Order: sequence, then structure tokens, then C-alpha cells
Amino acid sequence: MSERPDYLPEHIREKLFHDPRVAEQDLKVDVKENRVLVGGNVSSLQLRHTITEVAQELLPGYEIVNETTVVPTTEPDDAEPVS
Amino acid sequence: MIRIAAVGDLHYGEGSQGILRPGLEHLPDRADLLLLAGDLTRRGKPEEVQILADELRGVPIPMIAVLGNHDYHAGREAEVRRVLEGAGVRVLEGEGTIVDVDGVRVAIAGTKGFGGGFRGAHGSDFGEPEMKAFVGHTKKVSDRLEQALTGLDAADLRIALLHYSPIEGTLEGERLEIYPFLGSYLMAEAVDNAGADLVLHGHAHHGTEKGRTAAGIPVRNVAQPLIRHAYNVYTLNGRHDVLPAAAGGIS
Repeated sequence: MSERPDYLPEHIREKLFHDPRVAEQDLKVDVKENRVLVGGNVSSLQLRHTITEVAQELLPGYEIVNETTVVPTTEPDDAEPVS
Repeated sequence: MIRIAAVGDLHYGEGSQGILRPGLEHLPDRADLLLLAGDLTRRGKPEEVQILADELRGVPIPMIAVLGNHDYHAGREAEVRRVLEGAGVRVLEGEGTIVDVDGVRVAIAGTKGFGGGFRGAHGSDFGEPEMKAFVGHTKKVSDRLEQALTGLDAADLRIALLHYSPIEGTLEGERLEIYPFLGSYLMAEAVDNAGADLVLHGHAHHGTEKGRTAAGIPVRNVAQPLIRHAYNVYTLNGRHDVLPAAAGGIS
């Protein structure tokens, strides 16, 4: 992994996407000093926890701040008349 | 009136058990069809789609799907398709099907689609073999979509079911830099040439739900992270003549 800080967030985002435990393309990653902020939508609470674990494996010396949101899958309110 | 439930980008994988099922409880009372707009898995593995198939099995309304780019990642899309079909989901790629809903013939033409960009900023099948293959694939699937829709013109209603977006309008909210990877106008042109009552797609998680093609045909982005429900429902009035949308009173 490149140690240049300019490219570090993109490398982490790519590694999270290609990790079979995560495989989530929609994540946003930012690195500020020794903190890694991960945001975006995820489909389950388990995946959210896994993201923290995998990010910590990738950057053991960093604090992982998981700001991802679990997307609700409730029933819709109303139908939309299209025609 | 026909009620279409639709959702895409469910991205099932390890730990997804039970995510959708509670939201499907009243689906048969609320919709006549369920359409799935691709990216049903995270990495295109049959064991991932099996989790979803187990939740869909027994849903007592017709279910029709296209696959998305994630569903191709493992190179096992044929197995993914078989798992879905084992649960009663018809999977379309460059083809169509007709469902009879209380005497109304509802036709669905489906394809994953592909990228390339939009009018004024579309890639060309020129230069390196990789670029020719990229744009050539979009042309091929768009041609098949047009043929499938045209072949269904005897139906009362026609719906195009895609994964990639046919228009820029439902991408608003996404970064402009990735538009060429989110869809192609060639699919919108195919739909406008053949005619349709509704176009559904996913893929653009940060886009916009509602848009329309150049000819005015309504387009809905049903990516689950965008609609933030188990599905959305759209109602259509059955009719025998598919009018150009601009003159067809489409809202």
C-alpha cells in the first residue's frame, strides 16, 4: 500500500470494495491524521460492523470512525400513479 | 389499473438473511408484479443469491428480474440465474415476457444494459479493443432491448426493466465523472424507438428517482439505497395502444 497520504483514502476504499467480507462499492473514505472516517450506505448492521473490523485490519494504528448508515427496507407508504 | 412493485440493488450477501422478507409481507395485497432491477448480490455468487431466493420463494405474484454488474462479478451469472429461477423469478437478458394480470397483458423487456455516457458525451467504439468492446457491448444490449420491446407491441402495457440508467435525469446526485459508468443514452433511444409505458432501472444509488426519456416516457430509478424501502409501487392504466409518451398523458 502506498504511504503517500494523498492516495491512502482511495486505496482503503478499493481494498474494502475488493474484500469479500465487505464488497461494498458505495463507501466513502477519508483519512485525517490517525483517524479513518468511513461513510456511505450499507444494507445490514452486520455489514456495518464488518466494515469497522476490516478497516481496522487494513490500518491497525488508526482510529476507525464508522459513519455508515443502514438503509431501511420497510414497506413503501403509497403507490405512485404513473399513467 | 396495474400495480408494479420494483426494487434494485439489494446486494445480498453474508448476513443479509431477513433484510427484505418483513417488507414483503403485504406485497401481494399491494402489487400485481414484482420487478427486480439487478445487483441482487454483492459479488455474483450463487450462495449470495440463494439467501434472496429463499426470501422470495412463495411470493404469490409474478417476479421478473434482470441481473446487474455485481451479479456478473464471479463469472457465475448462469448459476445466479438458475437459483433465482428455482425460486420462481423469471430472469431476462435481451428478451421479453408477457404476464396476464386479470386480462391485461403486461409485457416486460429486460436487459442489464451497460454504460457509455449520454448525448454529447458518449464513448465511441473506436481505438483500442477495450474501448470497442465497452461501447460495442452497450450497442448490442440496446439493440436487443429495442427488438424485445418491438416484439411485445401487441401487449396492453410495456415496461423496460434495466440495471444501468438510460437517462441522465435519474443520475442527478451522482458525481458527473462516473456518468459513463452509470448508463447510456443508447438504451433510452431504444425505448423511444420501440415505445414503452415505463422504464425501471437501478445502479445509481445516489441518483434521483424520477425522470423521463427524450420522448417523455417515464423512468424510475428503484435502487434500494435511493428509495429506502423494500420496494416502490407504480400504477399504470392498461391500454391497447402504446402512445408516444409526450401525447399520452403520462405524469
